[in-house]
Amino acid sequence: MPKLLEFRNFSMGFKDDDGTVHNLLNNVTFDIEEGRAVGIVGESGCGKSVTNLSVMRLLPRSAVIQGGKIIYRGQNLLKKTDKEMEDIRGKDVAMIFQEPMTSLNPVLNIGFQIGEVLKKHRPDMNEEQIKNAVTNQLELVGIPSPEKRLKQYPHQFSGGMRQRVMIAMATICQPDLLIADEPTTALDVTIQAQVLDIMNRLKDKGSLMLVTHNLGVVAEICNDVVVMYAGTVVEKGSMDEIFDNPCHPYTKGLMAAIPTLSSGKEELYSIPGTVPLSNKFSAGCRFADRCSQYFDLCQDKVPPTRQLSASHYVQCWLDFERRE
Amino acid sequence: MQNRTFVESFVKKRLGLFGLLGVLVIVSLGLLAPLISAYPKGYGTEILLPPSEKFWFGTDGLGLDLFAQVVWGARTSLYVSFVAVMVAAVIGIPAGLISGYKKGLLGSLIDGIIDIFLTLPVLPLMIVIAAVVGSSITNVAVVIGLLAWPSLARVTRNSTLKVSELQFIEAARCVGISPRMILFKHILLNIAGPVLVNLTLVMATAVLSESGLSFLGLGDPTTWSWGTILKKAWDAGAVIDTPNPWWWWFFTSSFIMIYVICFNLLGSGINDALNPKTRD
Repeated sequence: MPKLLEFRNFSMGFKDDDGTVHNLLNNVTFDIEEGRAVGIVGESGCGKSVTNLSVMRLLPRSAVIQGGKIIYRGQNLLKKTDKEMEDIRGKDVAMIFQEPMTSLNPVLNIGFQIGEVLKKHRPDMNEEQIKNAVTNQLELVGIPSPEKRLKQYPHQFSGGMRQRVMIAMATICQPDLLIADEPTTALDVTIQAQVLDIMNRLKDKGSLMLVTHNLGVVAEICNDVVVMYAGTVVEKGSMDEIFDNPCHPYTKGLMAAIPTLSSGKEELYSIPGTVPLSNKFSAGCRFADRCSQYFDLCQDKVPPTRQLSASHYVQCWLDFERRE
Repeated sequence: MQNRTFVESFVKKRLGLFGLLGVLVIVSLGLLAPLISAYPKGYGTEILLPPSEKFWFGTDGLGLDLFAQVVWGARTSLYVSFVAVMVAAVIGIPAGLISGYKKGLLGSLIDGIIDIFLTLPVLPLMIVIAAVVGSSITNVAVVIGLLAWPSLARVTRNSTLKVSELQFIEAARCVGISPRMILFKHILLNIAGPVLVNLTLVMATAVLSESGLSFLGLGDPTTWSWGTILKKAWDAGAVIDTPNPWWWWFFTSSFIMIYVICFNLLGSGINDALNPKTRD
């Protein structure tokens, strides 16, 4: 399977007021293959959203790229000019945000907002064609009577409907890679299911990079899983490998913390502690402070990345059985 | 839910429409001045007559018709306020947008310039500049505009700072919309409220400033403006005399006030109609 997007030892950090750079993402390496859905999971503050914004090259001003490459179809995105990135965003790579309530411009009607994307990337289309394409797209994401809805403004849509509009806007140019940053977090459960259903259908048309802390959503949609902790990829593999055979203590902790229907009234497992701030990372394994299987080496040296199967990698000092 | 268009909503809101009508009346007075009355010049014999059928607003100390003066004055005052607003808008709005959106060196630089201009004492500076460049009415208008842009830029900048942090701006960047489009469509439309209100304020202050400058004798003495009328009234002691020829200053002052109020109403009316949420 050809690779669509490759992160190669990508490192970045944030500059504080004194100009000191605190590393956040450290040697992030993973691939997104064409036509596959990759879930990026981890707690809040693990650098998942920063990973997204790095692909879009929309990092805040204080961000400093420290090394590595982000390769899209063989081209390093970090070397692109701003103008070239404008052409890539929306056409080749598009993004859906967590907050549907604030992701649409309140003073422009949605027909204009979706049409604007086509106007930018498809200069060959005329007004009529754009209108038809927008109407079809709205229909595709399940918005009833789309012709009427075109002229309406975001405040006339509910949260779930707005998220559909966002999806329509992000996918109207049929991007090869769709990045979804917690697309269901702000929605209630029934709407979540509907939005996931839409995304499931869309994923056949391109690759999907789904950022979430909801492992249920990952299980529903994704083929591959990347587990991030404090800016490092601690474990990655296919969905089955990660769910059936989680190796890294952090992944195991995440799995144990999922409530199930069969769990009784005993207290739900939680990983002790919280994700450290980027200026308090330890020199060795960043998870060491919270790890149940921690030993001396963890604190001092960055653990090696070990390959457990063709697709399953884990970054840990512990010994794991190699599987084929 | 029905979608009202901008015009429908504007008409529905009485105050904005009222402002528009007031502005239209004054604008047409100014534009049609030559048709309405003769240009007041020279002197007449009927001095200091109170308002009557022949002289609606009475006559001044030289026997000139005050209604004609107010009408011809409207012409000047309108011209000054439009030129001043254009100058202020052309400099102030882009400056505010860019300094609010680009947070790097360029933004800080523009912000610094705005600050410097804001600290300048406006009235004395206006007097000095008007005295130096000569008291043509266009000069006065441009000077007023040049000194009014910083406050407009500041308002634009502050609103831009707030809006550009919102997620829909990031979302727009994520689908490849160019910075120019984001600034002048996505952001400008969102901050249209405060900017428009500020523009009407600039327009109102321009009339007041022009009146002030003319009152101080720095306007163009060869043209009639509302300020010139008031200056002449003041010089003749019409404001403090007893018995008082109140019509000399009252009508002109009222027109300045009505003009300012109507522009403010128009501004807030447009603002309400622009925002889809307050349309219904």
